Amino acid sequence: MSDREIIIRSLQKIDRRIRGNRLLRELMFGLSILLLVPVVFKIWDLFQPFRGVTVIAVLGLWFIGVVVYFASRLSRKGSLAHAAAAIDKKASLHDELKSAYWFVMNPTAVKRSTDWVELQVRRAAHQVIQLDVQRHYPTRIPSTSYAVVLLIALFVGLNFVPLSQNHNWAYLQAAPAFSLSAEEQRLINQTKQLLKQAEKLDQPELVKKLEEIVQNLQEGNIDTAEALRQLEDLRNQLDEGNLDMANINEGLDEMAKDLQGNPETDDIAKAMSEHDLQESADKLRELANELTKEDDAAKMKALEEALQQASDNNSPAMQKLADDMKNAANSLADKNSKGAQDALNQASKDLQNLADKVEQQLAKNSAAQQLQDLQDQIRQRQQQSQQGKEAQQQAGKGQQGQKSESADAANSDGESGDAEGSGAADQASGQGKEGQQAGKPGEGGQAGAQGQGQNPSGAGNAPMNIMGAPTKLNVQLEQEKLNAESEGGTPQNLEEASKQERSKLDYRNVRSELSPAQKDVLTQDKIPWEYKSLIKNYFQAIRPPRGK
Amino acid sequence: MSTAIDQQIETFQNQFKKVRDEVSKVIVGYSEIIDGVIMSLLANGHVLLEGVPGLGKTKLVSTLSNVMHLKFSRIQFTPDLMPADITGTNVVQESAVGEKFLEFQQGPIFANIVLADEVNRATPKTQSALLEAMEETTVTVGKTTFRLDAPFFVLATQNPLEMEGTYPLPEAQLDRFFMKLKVDYPTVASLHTIMNRTTRVEEPQVQRIVDKDQILEMRRVVRAVPIARPVQDYAIRIMLGTHPRPPYANATVMRFVRYGASPRGAQALVIGGKIRALLNNRVHVSCEDIRAVAYGALRHRVLLNFEGEAERVDTDTILKSILESTPEPN
Repeated sequence: MSDREIIIRSLQKIDRRIRGNRLLRELMFGLSILLLVPVVFKIWDLFQPFRGVTVIAVLGLWFIGVVVYFASRLSRKGSLAHAAAAIDKKASLHDELKSAYWFVMNPTAVKRSTDWVELQVRRAAHQVIQLDVQRHYPTRIPSTSYAVVLLIALFVGLNFVPLSQNHNWAYLQAAPAFSLSAEEQRLINQTKQLLKQAEKLDQPELVKKLEEIVQNLQEGNIDTAEALRQLEDLRNQLDEGNLDMANINEGLDEMAKDLQGNPETDDIAKAMSEHDLQESADKLRELANELTKEDDAAKMKALEEALQQASDNNSPAMQKLADDMKNAANSLADKNSKGAQDALNQASKDLQNLADKVEQQLAKNSAAQQLQDLQDQIRQRQQQSQQGKEAQQQAGKGQQGQKSESADAANSDGESGDAEGSGAADQASGQGKEGQQAGKPGEGGQAGAQGQGQNPSGAGNAPMNIMGAPTKLNVQLEQEKLNAESEGGTPQNLEEASKQERSKLDYRNVRSELSPAQKDVLTQDKIPWEYKSLIKNYFQAIRPPRGK
Repeated sequence: MSTAIDQQIETFQNQFKKVRDEVSKVIVGYSEIIDGVIMSLLANGHVLLEGVPGLGKTKLVSTLSNVMHLKFSRIQFTPDLMPADITGTNVVQESAVGEKFLEFQQGPIFANIVLADEVNRATPKTQSALLEAMEETTVTVGKTTFRLDAPFFVLATQNPLEMEGTYPLPEAQLDRFFMKLKVDYPTVASLHTIMNRTTRVEEPQVQRIVDKDQILEMRRVVRAVPIARPVQDYAIRIMLGTHPRPPYANATVMRFVRYGASPRGAQALVIGGKIRALLNNRVHVSCEDIRAVAYGALRHRVLLNFEGEAERVDTDTILKSILESTPEPN
């Protein structure tokens, strides 16, 4: 291997080592800085959870930034000349390798001293072979890599912090678009339970629909207004096919009245009068069971009449029960105890079914009420959110107006006076404007309504001056004497403030209050400033000593 | 071939060391000054020694001439010294037959080593008599040009400009000096040695070590040392850094310097660097060599402006700032 090859290969080896160490150091340093972004972002997320889209966007941009940084670092390639200079300095070679490398790469430039150059290259090659690259450039793990590991661990750990608001990004979790409060979640759960009961009323998939609405709302697929509308539709669905409870109760009351007075049906009548369908069904079943044991013809006759009377019920909801009563009465009239018993059992079953339906109807009503509460809650939050935004906007405008107001307090006072003079509505309007302008952040929502004029409706309706009041000079104008005459023609001396108007005098013609000496000092100075101290020192040096 | 070069280098180092050791027998301390003077001789340049009277400047030069088999002459510069007193002049001679003719009588400049003692005590007109000799190694009198023998080496001493009866050297002449060396007061230890050597009966004697041919050979060896372009570029950038113009000038130079060094300054840096490399047994010049000779090679080539003169800025301070602000080549 020639001296040239030895030098080149050795420098390549040194360059690789230098570049590796530099890359490791720079990448770890850069990464330790870059990792602060996701860590801070995650800590922020713990207090104010971000949506999945935001998280993906921020982390995506961060990742692109990291890739760009890495690419920029990796694309930076060193040169062998640089490696030679570096190892010269590191190993105190007095530019031996740097010179040798240049001689090797520029053989034609040093023709006149070829022998000397050969000797120099040979010495450099001999020197570079003996160099211990590992000793001069040891592979060290940069201290910033520990910070990188720490930050990664912190980032991962933050995702697993057991907080209710924490969303584990590792599991692709993020904050929903609409987060439900505990009260809203409770309402939804209760509504689901109630809807499950209501599904028995031939209205399946109500729970599924509610879950879809909530999920779409949380994922941001629908906005709050759309969610409210869909909840309203769901509630309307629940209202479909409602039982006419008034009609049922009326029928029960009428039937109870018919059955009243007969010892056999008194209990049933009582239960019906209390609108206790379950109890009524039980009593009817008991009556049916005891019917076969009964052999008193008078009692049967009385029972037949009571049932016959009860069957004469016009309530549509009770029609089936009335038919059963009628069948029982007819069977009793035919001395058919068995048939009467079956009819009464059937009546008991129908009543039982009605009881079940009523119970489910009550569940539907409760579910509808819960949905109504949920709608109210969401609507309230929507309104609060809008008010908050309006408050911020008005607070910003209020502060802007306040600044311009404070710039000319006297002028503002004058305007207030005008407002008072022109009427109550105007006054209220003017004060309303002040109220708006004085709005603070967070209170701006009410700022428009804080006018205290005599006509409250005028408060806050004053048009906002977005640009603020014009800036004016806050000066106390001199009182000047005016020659005036009273109505009687007698002269009077009046004093009033000068009128404020634009100057008619060119500013260049305004006489200066400076003395000629002062003006000279200001305008006549041909001594370069950097020589001033020298000249001063000179005159101080030649000044005669004191006392002479 | 490399063995021959190694031998040349070894010879160079030995002879240099012998001259230095021999001079050091008489001159105590001032090792850097001695090295600088010898380097200037080997660089085919001239040297200007500056220091207050009594520091041994003249003694140093005379000792150096005694160490070498060279013709030595001394010129004491005084205010009434005329150029012809240096170069020589045509005098009327009479032949054996009584015929009169003009014959050129060589002045003291016709020597190998010329000691121009207290050069700044002569007027600029007389000082300028050295210009041609220093640069061209020729002397022109009337219509005749005489070539001076090689090696020709001017060692000038001057008192600081603040001394009474001194004339500043013209910039053109200053530029012709390879180095300007400042001779400071010796240390206490050196003074003790000086007392011991100079107050006894016997005075130290020096031997002639090198002759003319050896010096010329040493000069040839110096010029053979190669320099890589990056290092040469470093020397040029330092030289350009003395000019109060961007892009190489720093703030100090821009503020205090009127004119910077000429290309002779860069030549001095490179040749001085080569000699230093040889003395350190290297066959290449390093940036460190350039820096080491920068003060001697450039301090007399940097001309201060009014502000620099007024604030009594030392050119070494400016050179230090230039060396600090000029990065080494990568």
